[in-house]
Amino acid sequence: MNDQGIKSRPSYRPLSLDRTGRRHLLVCDGTPEAGAFAADTTARDFDERWTISPPLLSGFAGDEKTGAPSDRMFRGETELLARLDHRLKTEQIGLRLYATGAEPFLWRVMAVAAEAGMGRDEVRLFAGRPGPRRVYCNHCGAIAEGVVANVATCPGCGAALFVRDHFSRRLNAFAGIKVDAEVPGDVPAIEVLYA
Amino acid sequence: MTIAFKPNESFRPPFAYSNSDAGILRFPFPFPSDAYMYSVNLEPHVRGGPTEAFSAVFDVDEHYIAECRERDLVLGQDPKRCLVLPHMMSAQWDTVELIMESLAEDYPDLFSLERDGDRWTWTNRPLQIRDAFVFGEANSLPCPPFEYITRQAQGDFTLQDQRGGDLFMDGGMVTTQADWSLAFDLGMSFHEWHGPVPLAHEAGVFDRALQYLLRLQYGKPVRRLNWTLTVNPRLDTSPENYPNWGPDKTTVTPANVGEKLHVRVELQTLFRLPRSNAILFGIRAYLASFAELVRVPKWGRRLHRVLRDLPPELVAYKGLTRYHTTAVDYLAGFDDGAATTFGIAPESGLQEG
Amino acid sequence: MTMQAGLNPTPLKLRVRAIETLAPRLKRLSLASADGTALPPPPPGSHLTLTLPIDGGRTRSYSVVSPTHERDAYSLIVRHADRSRGGSAYIHHHLAVGDLIDSAVPTSQFSLHSLARKHLLIGGGIGLTPLLSFLHALQIRGRALELHQICRADEADAFRGLLEPFAGPDIHLHTGRAGLDLQAILSRQPLGAHLYVCGPEPLMTAVEAAATSVGWPASAQHQESFGASGGAPFIVRLARSGRDVAVGEDESLLEALEAAGANPPALCRGGACGECVTVVIDGEPDHRDHFLSVDEKASGRLVMPCVSRAKTALLTLDL
Repeated sequence: MNDQGIKSRPSYRPLSLDRTGRRHLLVCDGTPEAGAFAADTTARDFDERWTISPPLLSGFAGDEKTGAPSDRMFRGETELLARLDHRLKTEQIGLRLYATGAEPFLWRVMAVAAEAGMGRDEVRLFAGRPGPRRVYCNHCGAIAEGVVANVATCPGCGAALFVRDHFSRRLNAFAGIKVDAEVPGDVPAIEVLYA
Repeated sequence: MTIAFKPNESFRPPFAYSNSDAGILRFPFPFPSDAYMYSVNLEPHVRGGPTEAFSAVFDVDEHYIAECRERDLVLGQDPKRCLVLPHMMSAQWDTVELIMESLAEDYPDLFSLERDGDRWTWTNRPLQIRDAFVFGEANSLPCPPFEYITRQAQGDFTLQDQRGGDLFMDGGMVTTQADWSLAFDLGMSFHEWHGPVPLAHEAGVFDRALQYLLRLQYGKPVRRLNWTLTVNPRLDTSPENYPNWGPDKTTVTPANVGEKLHVRVELQTLFRLPRSNAILFGIRAYLASFAELVRVPKWGRRLHRVLRDLPPELVAYKGLTRYHTTAVDYLAGFDDGAATTFGIAPESGLQEG
Repeated sequence: MTMQAGLNPTPLKLRVRAIETLAPRLKRLSLASADGTALPPPPPGSHLTLTLPIDGGRTRSYSVVSPTHERDAYSLIVRHADRSRGGSAYIHHHLAVGDLIDSAVPTSQFSLHSLARKHLLIGGGIGLTPLLSFLHALQIRGRALELHQICRADEADAFRGLLEPFAGPDIHLHTGRAGLDLQAILSRQPLGAHLYVCGPEPLMTAVEAAATSVGWPASAQHQESFGASGGAPFIVRLARSGRDVAVGEDESLLEALEAAGANPPALCRGGACGECVTVVIDGEPDHRDHFLSVDEKASGRLVMPCVSRAKTALLTLDL
């Protein structure tokens, strides 16, 4: 079973400032990887940077008025997204949002941005080399997290799911279809693809 | 017009389905020539076409009652086969108006619509429905407007929201689909939704189709045909139920291919909706078995040639691999090599079955 | 009606039910269905393309200002243009109650964005007309909105009257451009706001510049242009037939082509839909459309005849 070269898979470009915007907020789920930024861009070019700090650190920095753009650190993704939701709903037009990190993180950020009315041209996302996937089981609706292979086991119904390249931005997941529906037990060799 | 409905047909095991002779002759045979390639192939959707299936805005045929019952069964098992995003409410009402007006106009013996301002009364005689409601007030209908009316029409429907120079699939009633998931695809842009179709993207087919549809005008709907093959007369060949129908593919043998294998044609229609400026996409599925279709000699010859020469990528994409050879071998017996006329219409009457 | 029988471009027969003078140069028309059948519902932002008995029969488009739920008649507001190309002059001086007019079905190239969290409407003069239909829809749907309408002082009463049904803190009428601080208005809008502009070219250009300066995303800016405003006359050469056609200062390139019997496909007649795009073989186009990309305009190889003109005395088209 193969996936015919699906064209709906999102493609990402290293981040650079969208000069049509007036304020630029960068959010990351950790330290941005090498290659997250375009050749002429560094993290310091953004007006603000939010990131998720290692668990040992608490609170957030950036309160001092040093004149430099501020950094905020969050204890976890939930806190960052909640804060982002509040911030975007009180923001004015002209903001551009940037996100880098694991692919599922990016689309959670996008969901918060869409909820605040931001369009696709106000948000830029970058995910590096393909990482673990969320997979939506088409048969029972459950989501398998952290999938790294071409076949995943559905946590809801136990089906062996072929992991497609067809991606839903709304569900933030790749489609999974029972790989042995036609001939039960006829499961292809497992290949690790997205570690 | 009187239609001899077949209300007790079944599109799931135990199957009970067949086309009458008239049903075969009105079938929207999808191949106008002996070779097939994916294309946009849109034409104006006017009343009238190469077979009777093109005569009405929304075609009602002998399977109407049974298909509505099948839809009800699917929804009872899986309500997420009808989903509409919240911002599409005016498109829902546009759909109610379009389908009710069309059915009442095309089949006055079966449907009627009385209107007094916003107070509408809808009568559907085949399904024995009579409902008075207030147009625009969702509470006055027994279920949301889009679901309400598409439960009374054959075929699937999607609602495409036009914004940002794109069309987003933001709602649908999808119970008779050829293997795509509404729950998964809901909200996708035009290119994302069509992502899985091979080859066509390179040819720019979807770029041109999108540009054309963005300029679709109210009162000037368009249509096209799409096709695949289905084992057994199943309407619900959804990804959701793939574990149910997937095994059917391994049950085709030279002895049963004529009865088991069906040509599944989608008569796709596209309407600009007035209030919402959205597009209603109708996907009307027709099924006829190989044994039925070869009773039209031209169709027997052509079906053989199209399937025999189908590019491997399309064989794979349409899911025909397991039984492709068996199908072509069976059809070879109905192809004497004679020339066939261009176009869909049968050249002659039916041979005996 | 659900479907046109055949492909008649002007399937509606309308009768002039009323003509009302709102100001010396502003008239409101009510066009009813000639045979009493319900008219197609007009989408917000839609326009009617009427066939008027000028120059042997020409089409002119006007925005529908009546709400979508009114099916017995359409309301239009027509301003007598300072340099009328015949349409508004005819309507102001010759059209009478009872006259019959052929019309196309209302079509919209200018529509409300379904996911906008707020709708900011800016209109200049007669550009208010599509915005009026937006106001009806937004009011019914209960959406957040803000409107700024600029008009001449001598027409203020008329425009105040038109805005009366929607009066409130979010509706602003400005006489003249002087008191209008576009920068301030635009910069205070929330994320998710969409901008809709309709009016004379200088206003549209000024709003676009202000929107750009505050970082308003392109996908949230929407414009309706009311077509060619005329310009210097020039010659258009039809390369395939070798004919030369004069384009007068008061007619659009498209109109001159149609009068000469060359009929490129056309739809919106406002530079937005792309239907009339034509290949340029020689000469330099004067682009006034909103369809071609920056690169396409710079290349000079394509032109939209419905609104654009020529910078050179001769423009050769692949027609």
